[in-house]
Amino acid sequence: MSETILKATNISKVYGKHKALDKVSVEIKRGMIYGLIGENGAGKSSFMRVIMGLISIDEGQIELFGESGATGLQRARRKMGQSIETPALYPELTARENLRVQAANGGVSEREIDDLLRLMNLENTGKKKAKNFSLGMRQRLAIASALITHPEFLILDEPTNGLDPSGIVEMREIIGRLVTERGMTVLLSSHLLDELSQVATHYGILHHGKLISEFSREELADQTRQYIELETPEVQAAVVVLNELGIRDYEVVSERGINIYERLDDAAAINRSLVLADVDVTRIGATRQKLEDYFLQLTGGTTHA
Amino acid sequence: MLNLLTAENMKSRRSKKLWIVLFILSFFPIFQAANSLMTVHYGTELVQPIDTVINGATGVLMIKKNGLTVLLVLAAFISFYIGEEFQHGTIRNALSLGRSRAQYYATKLAVATGLSLVGTLLLTLLGMISFTFAFGFGEVPGISPYFSYAIKAFITLYLLILANASIYTMIGFLSKNSGISLIWTFLYTVVTGFGAPIFLQTEHFKQVTYWFSESFLFYFDFVKPADIARFPEMVLVSLITVVISSAIGVYRFIRTDIK
Repeated sequence: MSETILKATNISKVYGKHKALDKVSVEIKRGMIYGLIGENGAGKSSFMRVIMGLISIDEGQIELFGESGATGLQRARRKMGQSIETPALYPELTARENLRVQAANGGVSEREIDDLLRLMNLENTGKKKAKNFSLGMRQRLAIASALITHPEFLILDEPTNGLDPSGIVEMREIIGRLVTERGMTVLLSSHLLDELSQVATHYGILHHGKLISEFSREELADQTRQYIELETPEVQAAVVVLNELGIRDYEVVSERGINIYERLDDAAAINRSLVLADVDVTRIGATRQKLEDYFLQLTGGTTHA
Repeated sequence: MLNLLTAENMKSRRSKKLWIVLFILSFFPIFQAANSLMTVHYGTELVQPIDTVINGATGVLMIKKNGLTVLLVLAAFISFYIGEEFQHGTIRNALSLGRSRAQYYATKLAVATGLSLVGTLLLTLLGMISFTFAFGFGEVPGISPYFSYAIKAFITLYLLILANASIYTMIGFLSKNSGISLIWTFLYTVVTGFGAPIFLQTEHFKQVTYWFSESFLFYFDFVKPADIARFPEMVLVSLITVVISSAIGVYRFIRTDIK
């Protein structure tokens, strides 16, 4: 069984009358890319800040790399990197100088700066100050800054926030590379399930400060699987035709409905075979439960996620 | 803490604000020497109790002569220096690496202490040099030996400034915002500087006046034997201010939520 990197148990945080976190429990094991999803104000950033020791908790326990207690957590946090909310950079410094400052903060060598600048496509920024960077460049520099101390566990809060489509793809590739090439464990957040679905291995849905659901990539794929939806008054006859066509992965879901999970591009051919076999087809077509719909179903809400 | 100081050193070297502070503190003594020279040129005689610095020897009192300016310049620098870490979120970079908050606070205080020292040294040395050029080195009326007096006067004046720098550091950490810190540090400077002597009007509370380092800085002569005799009291008040303000600052900062 792989090592537990983070174990948060019943974490609660209250601001006045507002419960930002309500008994949130999360366990992240080594190698996971854990995506925390929730609408704005759901408690994602608060949870990340709690993990990094930036805000105190009113209730609950945190264990990092098997360590707990103030001193233990302080020691464990030296193996972590973070970029929470807006990229935290020194606007008057260049990319290289920002990394040098963070290397000094962490007490590590500056040797990796060139590699990190290359990894984040920032090697040609020269004397340009961080305040003149685009948002995408700032996001990448913030991640480089988090990586300079060789973290084993990386926390990224909405890393694709404000990026254009190509920036989002680039960021996704960078996160993927960090996990495959450096063996990192990552906790990242977004208010878009669709976005995280392309990078995370595990998911947690935060809603009004509560962790309402956790599932793996496989479970998400099952829930949002694409299929051909066939509607017919003659289900029995249709099943015979499907069997004759060699289709095995299907499910009779109602008296008039069959979901077919294979040969998704052959809806027209399947329809033709059914019609030739004198089976009435009311409706046929490829369909999929959208990730957004799935999220809404989970949160039971009216969010835009 | 050495790591944090190294990081502060890198940031400070590239900070325009730091260079502006040092420029102001370098420009003032030269400007004032030239200004005094013009005053004398047009027939007004410089008088030590009023003008404070009248030659190279009295240049050691440049901090006293520019007390309010030094305090306001330091208040502005420290407000931005600490407030911007909160506002840019860069404070998270060091703290999330498991660095202790007390160490982080101490690092900022150390930089404020260092800048105050460099700034006041610059102000004093340039004051002594430029006034020597303008009026000759001369002497401090009634002071002998001069060197021992100059060292004691500078240390005392520096500590009075440091006490305020420590208060500004505390305010910076409590307010977590450059603008708000700027307002509070200015208010503190003005109210305690010009308000503290109100206590002198009452019999029972007049001693309270001398719990504020600015009372000494603004209202003492630093040349009169009676005032020189109170140097140890000034040092004590300054050190107590540094200790109490740092203790409050660290205590509150440890319990602060970082956004």
